[in-house]
Amino acid sequence: MSLFARNALIALGITIVLAGTLVLTVDYLNRARVNQLSAIEDQLSIDTLSLDTQFSLLEAAPCDSAASSTALTGELSDLGSRLSYAENQLGTTNPQVVRLKEQYSLLEIRDYLITKQLAAACGTKPVTVLYFYSNANDCSNCDQAGYALSYLRDTYPELRVYSFDYNLNLGALQTLITVNKLRPKFPAFVINGKTSYGFTSLSNLESRFPKGALATTTATSTATSAKK
Amino acid sequence: MGLETVAYPFIFLALYFESFLLVTFFSSPARTKRAQSPVASPATNVPKVAIIVPCWNEESTVAGTVESLLALEYPADKLSLVLVNDGSTDGTASAIDRYAAHPQITALHKPNGGKFTAMNYGLEHVADAEFVGFLDADSFVAPDALREIIPSFDAPAVAAVTASMSIHNPHTVFQRMQYAEYAQAITLRHIFGSINGLYVTPGPFSFYRLSVLKELGPFKHAYLAEDMEMAMRIQRAGLKIGNALRARVYTKGPPTARKLIKQRIRWTTGFMRNIFFDYRDLIWSKQNVVLGFFVLPLGIAAIGGSIIVFSLYVFQTIKSLAHSVSVMSAAPLSYALTVHPISWFYFPLTIPLLVGITMTALTATWMAVGKYSSNTPGRLLPNLPAYFLFYTFVAPIWIIRSVSHVVRGARTTWR
Repeated sequence: MSLFARNALIALGITIVLAGTLVLTVDYLNRARVNQLSAIEDQLSIDTLSLDTQFSLLEAAPCDSAASSTALTGELSDLGSRLSYAENQLGTTNPQVVRLKEQYSLLEIRDYLITKQLAAACGTKPVTVLYFYSNANDCSNCDQAGYALSYLRDTYPELRVYSFDYNLNLGALQTLITVNKLRPKFPAFVINGKTSYGFTSLSNLESRFPKGALATTTATSTATSAKK
Repeated sequence: MGLETVAYPFIFLALYFESFLLVTFFSSPARTKRAQSPVASPATNVPKVAIIVPCWNEESTVAGTVESLLALEYPADKLSLVLVNDGSTDGTASAIDRYAAHPQITALHKPNGGKFTAMNYGLEHVADAEFVGFLDADSFVAPDALREIIPSFDAPAVAAVTASMSIHNPHTVFQRMQYAEYAQAITLRHIFGSINGLYVTPGPFSFYRLSVLKELGPFKHAYLAEDMEMAMRIQRAGLKIGNALRARVYTKGPPTARKLIKQRIRWTTGFMRNIFFDYRDLIWSKQNVVLGFFVLPLGIAAIGGSIIVFSLYVFQTIKSLAHSVSVMSAAPLSYALTVHPISWFYFPLTIPLLVGITMTALTATWMAVGKYSSNTPGRLLPNLPAYFLFYTFVAPIWIIRSVSHVVRGARTTWR
């Protein structure tokens, strides 16, 4: 075998090993991301169940559990950001991402229900936003809407934003969509029970909130979008 | 499948090229070349050498070129210089006439006809030299350069030997960029010279066996790439082109982007026109598999790959920027400028980014190897940023314009 042929073959071997190493490195990091998301979700599941149980135990004085709820939804916000990033990296059809989004959506719904129960029991008036987006290339303004909601959430920490992928095949989510009589038109918002569609500008979105709600409410807790 | 997957075959080829360089650098021929000793100084019993300096409007630099040649550590009776004024319109004629009385120098004048005609005219006046070299009149050499060149003619089949070029005293950002580029080219020329994979014998201080030049015929216009054409002619004849790693020659790089692009369009169109129109048989040639199955096909792939990868990069960057601006317009600007907590989770480690880091590290390594193994003066580190910041963006411009020139059949000019 000539020197050139020998070198060409060795170089091919090195290239394959090098390319394989690069692919495995990226794959390893993506797996680490998913594992971290999974760990956060496991913890959140326990926290949610704990809060739920706490709420049941303290039926006589349910408002005492409000502090725990604040901490929980703060973590939910961080999880949403990470999940959104992982979705961008791994793709919207990645089975692990879909499974994590389903778990995340369930946690959000559970937190939303607890918030409503606490509000009824304690007489508070939290501002809640249910935000529905679509990843099926039929929502050109969803990225902008999600960004505007992130801004509102960070500016008004008392705001509770729950974001959902409308097309996620999850029974509880579909029930939430049915209960709120939502049409497949995006982005869709349910702000304190009032439904609206579309996004044009931040000021337009702000105008859909109850009068004075963004300026006067006090900080309690938040949740963020899983996408957009 | 994303649009970026189109770039993956080219990324694989780039990694393959780097791997091949690595393996060949540590192979026996390259190691032997690095260990080669120069001609002893003071030299005795050495071959006669003639050096031709074609000049066109080089009044400000030709004296430095000639002085560096006269300072070569080589027996004066074995070294002659032929200065050829190719119809200059400045003071070049009087500049070279000042050396007319020198016993080693022949000063010639002719009407302007192009560099290759000046080289041929000089060759006609070389009498009994065994080797003949050329040096552009804007370049100069290290005193031991010729002593390093001669031992590389270590076999009868070696028809030509190239030197290690570097940019002298870089000032502008584009010269700094070229300093780093030339340092890498020293390594590439050394590696491919060790396995007869060179397809150009550059104007600055390439040497030939005079007998071979007489046999192969005079230099041609060759689309303004006479040095490339002669190298291809040598390869087609089944002869070899070597490289003398420590034969240092210094040249001036174009100081501005416009001049640099002009020069590179001349080089790139010269390569494409010679290889596609006149020397297509060298591709897939079994006579020289290094050139035929590796260097030339990869050189052509690099042209196509550069255009595709650069276009994709520009497209994706513009698309991403437009999207970001559109999204961020949904909230006040101050929100976009807010610093968010940093976490490894959000580190955008992708295959193109990893390849970019790997290629950058390898390129910087080859530059360092080129500079230090050839003992090239100057500092590499301050010039690296110019290369990595600008080369990636400037090179595709001359490549795209060169392809356009060749496709349209446009005339390429020297300056």
